[in-house]
Amino acid sequence: MTQADLIDRYLNAVKLWLPKKQQKDILAELAEDLHSQIEERESALGHPLEEAELVVLLKRRGSPMRVASGYIPEVRLIDPAMLPLYWMVLRIVLLWVLLPIFGLVFIAPIIDSHSPGKALAVFLATAFQALFFVIGIVTTVFALLDRYHSSWVDRWDPRKLPGGPRSHQQMQWYNDFSGFAFGVGAAVFWGVMMWHRGAFVFSGGSRIILTPIWGQIYWLVVGLTLARAFVDLYCFVRPAWTSARSWVRLGFDALKVVTALVLLRVTSWVDIGGANLSPADVAKTVAWLNATIQVTLICAAAIMLFDGVRQGRLLWRAKNGRPTPVLTES
Amino acid sequence: MHTTGTNSELFENLRLELRRGCLSVAVLVQLRTELYGYAIRKALSDHGLAIDENTLYPLLRRLENQGLLVSQWREEDKRNKRFYRLSPVGEEVLASLLAEWRQMNSALERILAVPAPKMQEQTQ
Repeated sequence: MTQADLIDRYLNAVKLWLPKKQQKDILAELAEDLHSQIEERESALGHPLEEAELVVLLKRRGSPMRVASGYIPEVRLIDPAMLPLYWMVLRIVLLWVLLPIFGLVFIAPIIDSHSPGKALAVFLATAFQALFFVIGIVTTVFALLDRYHSSWVDRWDPRKLPGGPRSHQQMQWYNDFSGFAFGVGAAVFWGVMMWHRGAFVFSGGSRIILTPIWGQIYWLVVGLTLARAFVDLYCFVRPAWTSARSWVRLGFDALKVVTALVLLRVTSWVDIGGANLSPADVAKTVAWLNATIQVTLICAAAIMLFDGVRQGRLLWRAKNGRPTPVLTES
Repeated sequence: MHTTGTNSELFENLRLELRRGCLSVAVLVQLRTELYGYAIRKALSDHGLAIDENTLYPLLRRLENQGLLVSQWREEDKRNKRFYRLSPVGEEVLASLLAEWRQMNSALERILAVPAPKMQEQTQ
């Protein structure tokens, strides 16, 4: 192979990776530099460069792709300052949103399926799709933020930064996080399992029939659950107490207590159909199920009342100028 | 063995960081007189600051895009060569950069002039 052939091949390979508008200019300069180097080497050796010597010289300059990469302007997808936030959001979405969805929506069908292998294959295919979709969406959102609103990272005020974590806030941190995770799980259950559902059908044809009250409060429960989950997420990300947060939580607690009371006004929440049981056994099972739901609703209302009292106490202490360690709780 | 490898990698990264800024200044200083790419490399190398072509040419292009250099193609020794020199803006920026560099250098010298405390004193 002649010297000119080798140089042409090398420059053509570099050209392939160069920005189109600058190709001609960059290549002309590279060619000139290459010829100067060859000339100098030849005069030092006292003979024209042989093929092997030229190959060594070209290899020392680096691969065409690496040479071209020097001329390509640095492109970033996400502002380095936003990377910690990006990783945190990605972790939360994957671990606390996607994982529970997989658990609730896919694991049960695999267990119930007559051919678990096939169901598992379908699950894996769908899980991979969902995984890449979610990562893609989060990355796109951050890339767009970087492109159009990257300056928000620099708009800050030390007075508006969240207070530093204290030892007694550890439990609250855990509570906020658990509240968010539980909220997302509950929202997924309501969004997927309860959507337009009148009954839960089991193998053998038996089914638990839901009374119309569940359909009537459907959107209220979904809305409240999701809103509370995001309030918990916000408190987890910015752990500091403010009166506004307590008021918001107090409002949610009140609405949830009202919802529980509305549900408790009904005496029957579920019925059983298609079961291979005697009428007496059906009546007993229905009574047991309804009693369980009643106790659950009372417990839920009591928990909400307890949290409401706690938030009220925090607000009262703040209003009366009695800052205690408990005020740092959210 | 692992520590040695990590240390040399660390050193290499820090050396590259240190060189990056210095090379820009060196190229700007060199281009107070008009030169073409290969001649810039030779001149810098003769002064003990070797720079490979994959660093130099993209750097020249970047400095030109920033308005610090101007260039023109001209024939010399029967070959077309691109000659670079400092632009008026480049001259101003270079003066500021050199002042900054001298200030940093003298600060570093002063810091180095302070004897390092002995290990025993540090642990007390």
